Amino acid sequence: MRQGSAAEPGSVPAVPQRAGLALIAAAVIVLACGCGGSPSSASAAGAAGGTQPPRGRTVTVMARSLPGVGTVLVTSQGYALYVFANDDRRAVTCTGTCLGTWPPLMLPAGGTLTAGRGVKSMLLGSDPDPGVGRAVTYAGWPLYAYAGDVQPGQASGQGIDLNGGYWYVIRPSGQTLVSAP
Amino acid sequence: MTGGQRPARPGRRALLISAAGLAAGAGAASAGWSLATSPSVAPDPAVIPPDDDLMREHGVLKRVLLCYREMTARIHAGGPLDARDLHDAALIIHDYIEGFHEGLEEGYVFPRLVHAGRLTSTVTTLLVQHARGRVITQYLLSQATAQGLASPPTRTRLAAAMQAFERMYEPHEAREDTVVFPAFRQIIPAAELTDLGQHFAALEHQQFGTNEFAAMVTRVAGIEQSLGIYDLTQFTPEVSQYTAPLG
Repeated sequence: MRQGSAAEPGSVPAVPQRAGLALIAAAVIVLACGCGGSPSSASAAGAAGGTQPPRGRTVTVMARSLPGVGTVLVTSQGYALYVFANDDRRAVTCTGTCLGTWPPLMLPAGGTLTAGRGVKSMLLGSDPDPGVGRAVTYAGWPLYAYAGDVQPGQASGQGIDLNGGYWYVIRPSGQTLVSAP
Repeated sequence: MTGGQRPARPGRRALLISAAGLAAGAGAASAGWSLATSPSVAPDPAVIPPDDDLMREHGVLKRVLLCYREMTARIHAGGPLDARDLHDAALIIHDYIEGFHEGLEEGYVFPRLVHAGRLTSTVTTLLVQHARGRVITQYLLSQATAQGLASPPTRTRLAAAMQAFERMYEPHEAREDTVVFPAFRQIIPAAELTDLGQHFAALEHQQFGTNEFAAMVTRVAGIEQSLGIYDLTQFTPEVSQYTAPLG
């Protein structure tokens, strides 16, 4: 299993040549990791990406019972976490525009990963993300939030076939919940 | 045939060559860095602005909605409907609109607006609608079969699903075109818009290859032809009844 502590250097690498694109990349990172979003019902995109604390902080994966799906992994803010079937417990394969819809739960540089109550710390880990930094994994599955979940406690992405494969919530046992939406 | 071939993007070739070199696993952010750090890619002032690009994609969405409307009418009238037309229409939505276009909005447009404190409530609604649309599309794809269309209850549900989708997305895309994208343009510096337009083009190429927009227009035109709604002249109304009598 890929265990991970924060091994990567800065999660926002400098882009020395083109400040404009650096800003664009930063915007993607904001969505992907929620670095700058203020999670609220009015900031759905930021909320969906509200999955990573600032650099060096702790990332906690929690377990919570959500309507329709039972007890599944969520972010510390209560947003459902999903796995992408195509990842096949190996690596992050959601790339390009997929990242806009399914921002990975990122482990910031210098950050630590902790398991909330009911979550098995031995199943937590991290993988290098093809974009930036490290993506948090559980039982080998990279974890993602869903842009369509605009409030904590939702799991509107469960069973959705999008961006080339199916997306499922995952139980604290490490089992994915394979069912239609 | 399509009546809507996309004009070539001047200077885009070099960008696409560079984009083609991106690793398959490169994400949006890293793609941006690759483009940013590639010495072979020069800024292209003639590239389609990102909001224009998104509105052009809305044109494809609108044409599929018109197909859905026709297919719904046929179901209500008890007329024939080829399951392949319905499946292909839903697949365009699934792959191009939901799997690409909406990812651009969710990854690049909405976060910037939210960060700027603009249209946050609207963005929330649009995100919910994206999610609901994906559920409907998944249903349409699962039931768009000859067997499904042979079942009266399924036909009724399919018609209702297409109607719900159309009812949601017509105001959805209209609001984006007239309010959301203009607000986005207001908060993004012009130079960054140019870069973002190039980045969108690279992502399109990465996901669909070359001429993706033209290919989608051709596909939807084929469905329109199959449904008999391609010829624009059929939609031109007779207006003599509205003209004032002479003398």
